[in-house]
Amino acid sequence: MPPLPPGVTAQQFSNALREFGSAVGPEWVLSTDEDIRTYRDAFSPFWEEAEEPIPSAAVGPNTVEQVQQVVRIANKYRIPLWAVSTGRNLGYGGAAPLNSGTIVLDLKRMNRVLEVSEENAYALVEPGVSFFDLYRDIQERGLKLMLDLPQPGWGSVMGHALDRGVGQGPYEDRFGAHCGMEVVLPSGEVMRTGMGAVPGAKSWQHNPYGFGPFVDGMFAQSNFGVVTKMGFHLLPEPEALRLVTVTAPRRDDVVPFVNTVGYLKNAGICPASFGIRSPRNDTGYWSASLKFYGPLKVIDAQWEHAQEKFSAIAGVRFQEDALYRFPLSPDAIDGIPNKNVLGIPDLAAFGQGFVRDGRPHGYGHYFFAPIIPMTGEAMLEAQDVFEQAFKQLELPGRGPVGFTGWQRRSLISLISLPVEHDTGKAQKNREAFRGLMRIAGEHGWGVYRAPVVFMPDAMEVYSYNNHALRRFHETVKDALDPNGILAPGKCGIWPRRLREAREARA
Amino acid sequence: MASRREFLQLALAASAVPLAARGVLAAPAGWADESTAPTPLYAVVFDERYPASRAFAGEAKRLGLSTRGIGGDVTRLWFDDLDRRWRQEPAAIAGLTTYGALFCLDVLARDYGMRTRFRADHYLDRAAGRVEHVMAGPAALLRDADTLMRGQAAWGRGLARVVTRHPASPAPATRLTLVARAEHTGEDPAHLVSWVISPWGPPAWAAGGGPESSLVGERAKF
Repeated sequence: MPPLPPGVTAQQFSNALREFGSAVGPEWVLSTDEDIRTYRDAFSPFWEEAEEPIPSAAVGPNTVEQVQQVVRIANKYRIPLWAVSTGRNLGYGGAAPLNSGTIVLDLKRMNRVLEVSEENAYALVEPGVSFFDLYRDIQERGLKLMLDLPQPGWGSVMGHALDRGVGQGPYEDRFGAHCGMEVVLPSGEVMRTGMGAVPGAKSWQHNPYGFGPFVDGMFAQSNFGVVTKMGFHLLPEPEALRLVTVTAPRRDDVVPFVNTVGYLKNAGICPASFGIRSPRNDTGYWSASLKFYGPLKVIDAQWEHAQEKFSAIAGVRFQEDALYRFPLSPDAIDGIPNKNVLGIPDLAAFGQGFVRDGRPHGYGHYFFAPIIPMTGEAMLEAQDVFEQAFKQLELPGRGPVGFTGWQRRSLISLISLPVEHDTGKAQKNREAFRGLMRIAGEHGWGVYRAPVVFMPDAMEVYSYNNHALRRFHETVKDALDPNGILAPGKCGIWPRRLREAREARA
Repeated sequence: MASRREFLQLALAASAVPLAARGVLAAPAGWADESTAPTPLYAVVFDERYPASRAFAGEAKRLGLSTRGIGGDVTRLWFDDLDRRWRQEPAAIAGLTTYGALFCLDVLARDYGMRTRFRADHYLDRAAGRVEHVMAGPAALLRDADTLMRGQAAWGRGLARVVTRHPASPAPATRLTLVARAEHTGEDPAHLVSWVISPWGPPAWAAGGGPESSLVGERAKF
């Protein structure tokens, strides 16, 4: 039997489920063991341990009005809700909530592509729209638009952006490419942001700001509201994409090497996300994978300019990996290994060993994702610090060999820890994960995102001036959500009535 | 219920009888045996890279089933075929693939009221030249597996006959481990998985309920 929400009796819970059923249809209130199993995090760091968060039920509304009703019922019974769009952010928590007994507000049925404009290159979607859904819509209508995609591509267009995930294309910052939201507030009231606050708005997806404070950021990585619509700017389909690799031979090349990459990115010459790897051997100490999107003549000139800039580094080498011309034929697409960079969602990562069930590590992974400055000095420092941290925490390997450009002026060092089903090993890895966050914090680095069960730990690092930022968040939380029903504890933000839970965790 | 670790230990303890069937674990008391009517299979999925999987598909085709080849990645199969089919109505599929392919298809199928109802992990021990089949599924199906796969080195073909007999009606999962000599030890990977994903409950998003769970979500309980 699934756990009850904290402080809620079985009778109250039963009454609440009945009312949820009246709001959304009884078939969309899921509360059997079998139902609940589908909302567990397949990559849970606490798999089958007492601390693994298990929801009490799931509710699946189909309209914004139903979301409003669900939120109002949750307020009546003070039952916490955990909103998910498709719940497939594996490695960061899946569909599972932070606290056992929470009801999952599953928005998967709200999967309508509401509008796509080729002329102004934008889309307005509901939470349950996956990248596959939007891609199919664009393809079937023959629109000359391209998506900026994460890998794998089965997640929610909206959910990925609200978690501030990054795409592999030119826009990269997917939350930064959003334009306008509709939000159900904890009171059940509906609000539209930006130009959408104008009744009959005609420029909701054309201009993100509207008039007055820009509040959209408050609904990303937060628990201040349930986003039910969101606009996104899309990329007009480019004429071509060129993939290249640049290699520099010596460890000491890192400063001019990263500075050159940063210049190309910030000057708009090569704005797409990129990766820098260090195999730490003599065949080329640093290598950068770059992408140029645009008209062929333009990207030829950009690539030529990039080579001129890199040529200041002695021994630098250039390799052209691929040139793709759009539109691509289905046969051409078939042979391309990483389709995401072409705006084509795929699941190829799972076929390449992303998930393994062989022995000994077959249960998935979770991500440690610190943000560091985009400088060579910072990369060397991060390599050294994490190499020491790996030794101290008894993790296998030498620490990060790869860095990825993350938004405009930062890098990320994505480190995955394996999920273990052996309790002792699982505990060791969780302690190592917390240790990595602590050590990163001591060097001035915070994570950009964290697996749900580690969210409160991640926020502990953001502690400047006695946690002034978290206190601000919680002041907002108390004002908007006095009953604390939306995702208590998400991103370390607890409602007043549950703050002792944070103290207990600490 | 035994944990996966306990179950494997159980299998290990029984390995004193080499290359032999270890027996079907009985269904819990009180469960009615399942209907023998087989699940109609919309498609049989195989990984073109591996001999065991190709043999599995060859036999499935010989039995009149429609096959779909993948190279590890299920994207095209999902996007061009299954998603379109399942939007009309849920339709059962079976396969012999890597675990990654099953993981994706299981997650995607859940949105259409389907679950993984039969799963067999095939662990290849190249040095010993043998393969261990750790199976979970309806009791009658595992009895068929015991008959069709006992001591079979060409296990992919026998497996195809097993999945075509998967019962349409729901039934509790039981367990079986077989060990046999293996062929193609140099070409097959150390781990493959065979499976049947079939409808359960109303044909709609997140449908569920009933006694049997998805064997992907339950993998830790082996």
